[in-house]
Order: sequence, then structure tokens, then C-alpha cells
Amino acid sequence: MKQKNKEIKVIFAFLTLLFAVFLAIPMVRLLFKSFVGDSGISLESYLSVFASRGFGKALGNSFLVASVSALTTTAIAFLLAYTIHYTNVPGRAKSLIQGAALLPMLLPTITYGFSIIYSFGKQGLLTRLFGRQLFDIYGFNGLLLGYVIYTLPISFLLINNTMGYIDKKYMIVSRIMGDNGLSAFMMTIIRPLMGTLAASFIQSFFLCFTDFGIPASVGGKFQVIAGVLYDEMLGSVPDFHNGAVVAMVMLIPSVASILVLQYLERYNVRYSKISVIELHKNRARDWVCGILSTLVITGVLSVFAVIFVVPFVSEWPYDIRFTLEHVTAVFADDALFGVCKNSLFTAAATAVFGTLAAYGAALVTARSTVNKKLKNVIEGIALITNTIPGMVIGLAFLFSFSGTAVQNTFFIIIVCNVIHFFSTPYLMMKNSLAKMNASWETTAMLMGDNWIKTILRVVTPNAVSTILEVFSYYFVNAMVTISAVIFIAGARTMVITTKIKELQYYNKYNEIFVLSLLILFTNLAAKSLFQYLANRKQKTAASKSRAVKTAQ
Amino acid sequence: MLQLQHVKKSYDKTPVLKDISLDIRDGEIVSILGPSGCGKTTLLNLILGITDADSGSILFDGKDITREPMEKRGFNIVFQDYALFPNLNVYQNITYGLRNKPEISTSEEVDELVELLGLEEHLRKRIDQLSGGQKQRVALARTMVMKPKILLLDEPLSALDGVIKESIKERIKTIAKEYHLTTIIVTHDPEEALTLSDRVLIVNEGMISQYDKPCEIIHKPKNSFVKTFILNQLEIKRNNIYSLFEDTVAANGMAF
Repeated sequence: MKQKNKEIKVIFAFLTLLFAVFLAIPMVRLLFKSFVGDSGISLESYLSVFASRGFGKALGNSFLVASVSALTTTAIAFLLAYTIHYTNVPGRAKSLIQGAALLPMLLPTITYGFSIIYSFGKQGLLTRLFGRQLFDIYGFNGLLLGYVIYTLPISFLLINNTMGYIDKKYMIVSRIMGDNGLSAFMMTIIRPLMGTLAASFIQSFFLCFTDFGIPASVGGKFQVIAGVLYDEMLGSVPDFHNGAVVAMVMLIPSVASILVLQYLERYNVRYSKISVIELHKNRARDWVCGILSTLVITGVLSVFAVIFVVPFVSEWPYDIRFTLEHVTAVFADDALFGVCKNSLFTAAATAVFGTLAAYGAALVTARSTVNKKLKNVIEGIALITNTIPGMVIGLAFLFSFSGTAVQNTFFIIIVCNVIHFFSTPYLMMKNSLAKMNASWETTAMLMGDNWIKTILRVVTPNAVSTILEVFSYYFVNAMVTISAVIFIAGARTMVITTKIKELQYYNKYNEIFVLSLLILFTNLAAKSLFQYLANRKQKTAASKSRAVKTAQ
Repeated sequence: MLQLQHVKKSYDKTPVLKDISLDIRDGEIVSILGPSGCGKTTLLNLILGITDADSGSILFDGKDITREPMEKRGFNIVFQDYALFPNLNVYQNITYGLRNKPEISTSEEVDELVELLGLEEHLRKRIDQLSGGQKQRVALARTMVMKPKILLLDEPLSALDGVIKESIKERIKTIAKEYHLTTIIVTHDPEEALTLSDRVLIVNEGMISQYDKPCEIIHKPKNSFVKTFILNQLEIKRNNIYSLFEDTVAANGMAF
């Protein structure tokens, strides 16, 4: 096939420029900053950071709590996914489990911390329900609980997805060959999931290691590396060079974990065909899994229950009469209302530009015949954006764009989000485009379409549901992110999550919860809207194809 | 002997099998033939034990096995896509069942099977290095090692092309004869069913349309379904092939 690829090259050039200016240069400057001391280039900052007693401790703490959390999350996510795919629990319960497992995605991590405080703290909702405090929430326990809730959706999505692609016919083969329950389980479920379980562990580890929202609220005296970074940058005695060093140290495990993930990719078992089978009847299994899963989702939901209670009572926990005064107060407060508008605007703009970037990049790699080297550049960019923690990229932006015209603008926040979350949307787009018939462009061109017309008339309409998914992914993530924007949101461009961090300083928890609810409802509304649009699209497509069939 | 007596099965109140009764004799090759959605896969699942019948009974050698779980029945199946374990090599797949029941086949018996199916040179290969026909033979060997009382084959030829198809057909026949093994084959292809089996069970809309020897089906089709859907297809094929060969004969004749 002969193609000129002119348009593709324009897209490629534009993307490369975008990522060069807003990813490569800032990261290099960050690296540079970490090596520059008072007396020129030196290892001074590194030495000073490593010598400080708290740093080693915080790094160790981060590793410890992130590993324990990742292990716990993976086990819980496996249980939930197993209940959905391998038990005869009623279908409605299954969709409830799925919904509850994904719910935490729609809230910023900083909110989890506060809901943990208000659930399990001395005056917490659950503490009062149980009559005593279940465990000390500040430090390891609180972080563990927060991280597990935070990473549960991602871990669940990964495992649930792979389980859906396991050919369940193998269970029949295994049983008929005389395997007992345990070896059938190992052979037909654990073995094909091995890669995904490891991926879930690493991904969760990465998220916990780099998250800032949860330690900001329930970390207490248990210092983790994200907290150190925040203190170095925005604490009482800021030291930007040391901050850069901490960011570099944070980057290393992140890069390592993503590389391991890439490596694990090839261990995934691929089945040629997925067959649906009737599951073996086993009431004991159904009950045990059903009850355990119910416990898990009750746990998750009960932690969030407090957000629906605290802002609607006069003064928790002393005066628990129902009132809407806090909610109306937020809407009456111009500053807070303005922050909400900022968040909405930022998220919407991030979704639009992010989707365009991901779509353009996917067109280059999945639907063009350009040189393999150009494609590898795009793949490399996606991989790199995946490895860089939000806080690190935020910090790099702070160093690179302070004093320039873009400082304290929405533009910088939007670009930061587009780049920070680029990897997943790009992969979603690429997979969807790659699945489409490879001859469409050729066919359309033979019919007289030019490239842009083909993309608009053939490729885009067939990718609509993925485009909507990508749009929704960018929107929701831009709504909830705090790590990436904490360093670059200015007074005028404050978004809800950074405002929450500020409100924490003044102990204004009612406002915090009202704002969190706003984020939750916005995300729920956005998700349902996109879901509805995607479904409608699919339905019309299906009915169209039916119409064509009957016509034939 | 396998007997089904008044077996019925519905899914979500839609009847899939409506009152099926039949006998299959020991060592017989029987094909279950019918269009997609006729209930033939459900019938296979019932015999194997994946699915329970709503009513009616299944007997094997006079013993009622209707409520016996799949693994106790001692039947075995080769799936259409073979379901070979991708993480094990050919030999490990073939001897998979021996890990659980080492006494079931001796190593001589395994060797014999490997030889019969022509797999000697492939034993150390990974599954994804095999062609469709080779995978089919590995799956057959894996199942045969378990010495099943009944061998079930789900669309054994549909994923294979021309010449391989014929050779696998021969292997299936050889194995059935050699081991005096009752073999039940599910297929949607009349040619396959009629050339491979001792008797053919034609199923349509959940009921038995005709259950007879191939020659009886050809010469005494019982109803219009058998005539229109089964025989017509074969006649079209026959005519196409005849005309093809006649042309060749004519062309050759011209050359002389």
C-alpha cells in the first residue's frame, strides 16, 4: 500500500513539539536543578537530602506501606473479580460489586483521608457506631486503608478485564482430566492471571508510592516520600534543590515499576477464543465469595458514607440535626463557587485536548504506514508519561514555567493534565483503532475520499465509543487529581482539589466534604452521560446493521 | 451403551431440547448434525455432564448417570478450539491427566498413541508453534490418554483445511476402531457427518429429525427438513464436483 502520510507527519510533528516543550524540557530542567548547588554543579543537594535523618526513614516507610497496600489491594480485587466471573451470585449483586469497586475513582484521594478521619477517628461516624475506636488512624493504618481504597478500582479493572478474557472451557478440561479443586484453580485461573496479578501489584505500588493526597490527610508522624517532597517545596523552609532531588528519587522506583510492567506484558497468556460455560454449581463457594465481597464493598461504602452525613448536619459530632446551611454556604461563597467553575472548565478542556492528543497519536501508530522509528517515538512518549508521577511532573513545570507568561494560567494546568494522563487514553485509542479493518483507508481513497475525509467519515464514527471513553477518563482524572496540580495551581486558577488542601489548613471540613460531593456528582453525571452516549451510538449502529441485513 | 430417555432442557424458559430419546451402541461413531441453534451443543453438554437435564434420564451401560457429575462419568471431550494449555508443551499437554491418575495409561500406551497420531517429532514444541491439524491431534492424544468411556468431539474438522481434514477423519476412524471406542461427533457439515460416522443423528429445533445410517438418510430421507437442508446441500456439492471433473475430462479429451 502506498500512502503519502503527509497529514500523519503533521500530527506527529505537532505531538513531538508538545511533548518536547512540556515533557522533555521540564524533566531535563528538573534533573539539572537537582545537580545544581550554591557552588555550581555538585552533588551537594543529594548529599544534604540523603544525610538528613528523616529522608531514609520516609523512603523506607514509603516502600513498606506501598508494598503492603499493593498486596492487600490485589488480593481484594481478585476476590471481587472472582465473585463476578466464577460464582453464581445473582447478577444484580455482581453489578453492585462492580459499581462499588469503581466508585473511589470518582473522588480525589485527599477526600479519602478525610473520610477515614471522620469514619474511624475519635469522633468518627463508625467509631460512634461501634462505640470505640477500631484502630489508630494516623500513620500506617490510615495510609494502608486509604491506599487500598485508592488503588482498588485500578487493580479491580485490571484483574476483572483479564478474567473476562480467560477461556473458561479450560476448567472443564482440567476437571475432566482429574484435577482436584485446588490444582484446577491454580491451572485455569491463577496461572493465566499471573501476569495481571503482578501488574496489579506493581501498578498499585506505583500509585501508593507517588500519591500525595492520602498522606496529606492521615499520614500523621509516619512520614512518606510524597510528604517530604511537599514539605521541601511548600513547607516552612522551602528548598527547591532538595525538592528536585526528592523528586528524582521518587522517579526511580516509578520508572523501575513501569519497566517491569512492560516486561511482564509478554507473560500474559492469550487465548484464541473466549467461551462461555455454565459454571459448576457450588453453593458453598457462592456464599463464601458473596459474603466476603459484600463485606469489602460495605467497608468501602461505609468509609464514604460519612461524606454524605457530615456536611448535612449542623455541627458534627455535637449537633447532628439535618441542615443544608453548609451546602448553601459553599454556593454562596464566590471564592468556592469560582473554584468549582475552574475545576469544571479545566476538566472539560483537559478532556477535549487530551482526547485530541491521544487520538492523533493513535492514528500515527495504529493507522499509518510511517516509519517504524516515528511510531516508536510515540510509544516512547506514552511509556514515559506513564512512569512519571504527578508530583514530579508538577514540580518540573513549576521549575520550568515560573516567570514565563504561562505561569498561573489554566493553560499550564490543562497541559500538565493532558501529559500526565496521556498513557492510558493513548493505549485505549490505539487498541481500538488497531482492531479496525486495515483496508478502510485504502477503500475510502479508492472511492475518492482524501485522508481527512476518510478519518472523519469512516474511522472516527467507528471509534466513537472509545473516544467517549477516553474523554470521560481525562475528565474524571482531571477532576480528582491533586498530585500533579498542587505545585502549579495559582490563586486565580485554584481547582477544587487544591482548594481542599487549603481548607484543611483552616479545618473547614464541612466545605471539604461539600466540595468532594460536588466532584463525585459531577463525575457521576459525566460518566453516565458518556456511557449513555456510547450505548446509544452502539445501539444505532446495531439497528443500522440489522436494517441492512433485512434489506439484503 | 449410552441411552437418553425423554431428555428435555430449556434456557430461560426457551426450550432448547424437546424430548430427546436415543441409543448409542458401544464402539459406534455417531454424528450429531444440525444447523446452528438446533440444540446440538446442548445435547453434547448434557452427555458430557456440563449441563443438567431438566427432565428425562441418561443411562450408561444400564446405570442411571443423569445426576452424576462430569468428572465421575468418565467421558471426555476434544473442544473445537482444542483448549490446549498454552503454558505447557505438547508432551506436557498429552500427559496432563497422568499427573492426577498415573496408573490410567502406561508409558508404552502413551508412546503408542503418540505414534498413531504421528506426533513424535512435535513433543517438545510449544502449542503456538503447531498448525491446526497438529493441535487437533495433540488434543485427541491428551483425551485418549484418559481412556474415556465415550469420546466426544465438538466440530473436530471445522477449523481445518482440505487435505488435513481428510487425514484427521481417517485418524478418528482408526482410533475408534482400534480402541473400540464410542465416539460422538458434533458437526454442522452434512458431508463430514455422513462420511465419518456409522449413524447420523439429525437434530432440528430441539427434536430428532432422523437417526439412521448414512445410506438410509441419503436414500430414505424422513422429512422435508432432511431433504431440503441436508440432501440439497450434498447434491449441489456433488453436481459442482461432477461438472468440474466433466470439464476436465472434456478438456483432456480435446487435447487428444
